[in-house]
Amino acid sequence: MSSFLTSSFMHNIFGGLAQGVIFSLVALSLVIIWQSTHVLNFAQGAMAMFATYVGLTEIGRGVGYWWCVLLSVVVGMALGGATERVLIRPLYGKPEINPIVVMVGFLAVLEAVATSIWTSTARTIAAPFSQIYFQSHGKLVLLSPFIIFQIVLAIGIMLLVAALFRFTKLGLQLRASALAPEVARLLGVRVNRMLTIGWMLSAGVGAIAAVILASGSFGLFPTDMDGVFVAGFIAAAVGGLESPIGAIAGGLLIGLAEQFILAYWSPNVAPLGGIIILVVALMIRPQGIFTKSVGRRV
Amino acid sequence: MTWPGSFRKQETTHVRLLTVLGLTVLTLAVTILLPPVADSQLAGGAAITIVILGLSWLIGWSGQISLGNSGFMAVGAYAAGIWAHHHTASPLIFTFLLATLVGGISGLIVAIPSTRLRGPYLAGMTLAFAAAIAPLAQNFTSVTGGEGGLFFNTLTTPAWFLHFFSGANASINANAQWTADLAVVIAGFMFFLMANLFHSRSGRAMRLVRDNDVAAELMGINLSRTRTLAFVVAAAFAGLGGSLFAIINATVRPESFPLTLSITLLTLMVLGGIGTLSGAVIGGIIYSFSANLVSHVNSLTGVNPTSNLGSNMQGIIFGVLLILTMLFAPRGIAGVVQRIRSFVHSRS
Amino acid sequence: MIRVDDLSVSYGAVKALRNVSLEASPGLITAVLGANGAGKTTLLRTISGLVNPVGGDIHLGDTSLLRMPTEEICRLGLAHVPEGRGVIEELTVEDNLRLGALASKVDIAEGLEAQYAQFPALGDRRKKYCATLSGGERQMLAMARALIAQPRVLLLDEPSLGLAPQVTSDLMKLILRLCESKNLTVILVEQNAKGALRIAHNAVVLHLGAVVASGDAQTVAADEDLRRYYLGLVE
Repeated sequence: MSSFLTSSFMHNIFGGLAQGVIFSLVALSLVIIWQSTHVLNFAQGAMAMFATYVGLTEIGRGVGYWWCVLLSVVVGMALGGATERVLIRPLYGKPEINPIVVMVGFLAVLEAVATSIWTSTARTIAAPFSQIYFQSHGKLVLLSPFIIFQIVLAIGIMLLVAALFRFTKLGLQLRASALAPEVARLLGVRVNRMLTIGWMLSAGVGAIAAVILASGSFGLFPTDMDGVFVAGFIAAAVGGLESPIGAIAGGLLIGLAEQFILAYWSPNVAPLGGIIILVVALMIRPQGIFTKSVGRRV
Repeated sequence: MTWPGSFRKQETTHVRLLTVLGLTVLTLAVTILLPPVADSQLAGGAAITIVILGLSWLIGWSGQISLGNSGFMAVGAYAAGIWAHHHTASPLIFTFLLATLVGGISGLIVAIPSTRLRGPYLAGMTLAFAAAIAPLAQNFTSVTGGEGGLFFNTLTTPAWFLHFFSGANASINANAQWTADLAVVIAGFMFFLMANLFHSRSGRAMRLVRDNDVAAELMGINLSRTRTLAFVVAAAFAGLGGSLFAIINATVRPESFPLTLSITLLTLMVLGGIGTLSGAVIGGIIYSFSANLVSHVNSLTGVNPTSNLGSNMQGIIFGVLLILTMLFAPRGIAGVVQRIRSFVHSRS
Repeated sequence: MIRVDDLSVSYGAVKALRNVSLEASPGLITAVLGANGAGKTTLLRTISGLVNPVGGDIHLGDTSLLRMPTEEICRLGLAHVPEGRGVIEELTVEDNLRLGALASKVDIAEGLEAQYAQFPALGDRRKKYCATLSGGERQMLAMARALIAQPRVLLLDEPSLGLAPQVTSDLMKLILRLCESKNLTVILVEQNAKGALRIAHNAVVLHLGAVVASGDAQTVAADEDLRRYYLGLVE
């Protein structure tokens, strides 16, 4: 058993999962927005990065780790809500290229502003969990308290989001607004408010992904989330963009795939893994693997 | 609008040819007057114009969103670089043809799984493609030169050109002017091709597919073939533009075509006017002088150009312009000009 | 009470409603009749704020509903069961009902119990996704979802569409009973003029967006010309 945990296979499983939960979070955040407003938010990664940087600046002022996390999430949510109100709301009913272009522009602005305020070097925020790997009989197990924290935090957030959608009045109204906005209006649901709340939730979930990256040993730099966004998008698309469960599964799948390609071939080819998975998935089921079967329920 | 009959069609082709020739000659004349720095900027702009022509055709006419055209540029540039590396004596025209061809083939490869996708899927898919190109180039070091990239021989200015403009002496001025002229002529030629394509049967089919795919299918248009064709053409234009861009800069490296270039291309196309020929040229001109524009904004606002903010000013300006254009003038500069023109016409 | 004054609606160049006026009072059913495209659905959608009129006014009691968002109109106590019933298939029966109660001050658990007592078939299926319901069950759910918020006004758009004759007849009786017992103001849009006229107190006949007749339901039902030309009731 102990030699199994230290095998290179398990190293890759752990590494893939640690990476995969980050993709899953981003994919989930994309699905929340897609379901409610049918916008694929290309600035999702950059918004999360920006929010986390704002949180990071506070750590220099002697504020604890958890306050920074909280601050990042709150800033992320505020940014998400404001973005929906100011940039997205005027574009409902317009051709679908319009919101895509606007969010790509927003992505460019956020990254340029972040770089000009905080420079392009990576910044870290020390989590109160050790980065040192566990050992078993003198051999490394590719798990550290931090990696466990990262996985638990991500899964906890996913469960929280699922519970919110499934069991609360707010979640019911959010689901109804996404599924049938006109009917929801007729039943007195303030659909516009729900759309804003959907964006806020989504941006909050995204911010957690960036916080995890910033807490890791490599830190976070302004364009860091570009690659994470691409992987998260692929994960969401594999699941069909409509299915939260599909997005989470897709994220884990891509994390694992990239990890194994990285280990057995070359780190440079790893991004191809995601593309290949997407192409294969779309050929099997163009509407996404998880739509219709599990989809649209949360 | 009158439906172009056979006679009218011939006439418009002539008009188009004359317009392009006129504009090209005018631009060539301008390159004589411009300082070398401006000439090389203009050359880059001409290369970008070619890419935007393809992008505008893809997004504006076939309705397919691509964020991956920087990837197609990279493919064309590497094809040119690898060819030139092994065949140093090969004439430039072969390099360009090869880059166009390989670019088109890469478009075909991306199109096959992509043309079944709707807008946002397609945008994400092409973005993923563009993001994968630079790491791939780094991986196959023996072919691509890895980090360091590949180098092109500097363009040799022909003797007749030197004789004509520079008293037979090679000079920085003459070299820059030759590079700009070459790029402008190629861009002019591609503009003419695209103008004809816009007004061809395929172009009309493409618009029909964009506006109403059901009707198009009923009329016997093969949807996936039409969409694939749009991709191939756009990628071929990007491949050529990318190779020209690389040859102007005499090098191609993994970071020559970053994702931000895809955003820049989108910005320029939207600013110029989606789906218009003139918009592509406007976009190219804006690109040429974007550095001047940025330094002008820096000096206006008193921002130190070497500071963090100053060096990121381009991203901020382009991003803000992209957002504002899409929100307030989604048809870009060409659209605004058109509206002013029809306003003036309706008045007179 | 709902009062519609001189209401006009256009979709682009097409005039969907031309100077329509009507009044509907508590405890009475006002039937809106007419052929396809007469503007019946547009009338209800305009009252609910889903469509903006180009002229005229709508009052619920003393409050003008003009320019008021749909969700706020609902919160004033107006329930609209839309064409096709608007049951959200991806939600369970119970979630659909809860959704109906959320915007009101009604206690959700009590409301659910009251509706399950009224419609026992729904109680049996409370955990089922609505995609599995039959047409009759969907209509029941749509009614229950509208009633759970204890509205003052009920707008019904073609409730009998696609239902078997017996189910339709039961439904019409139920509407009448509800209207009278809860003192509801009911506006009933129907293409099935016969069934609607049987329970309605008043009737308005629309043709190409304009009112061609209105008044007592019996009078309308007795008018040979109306029956022949607008209601399709002559054998």
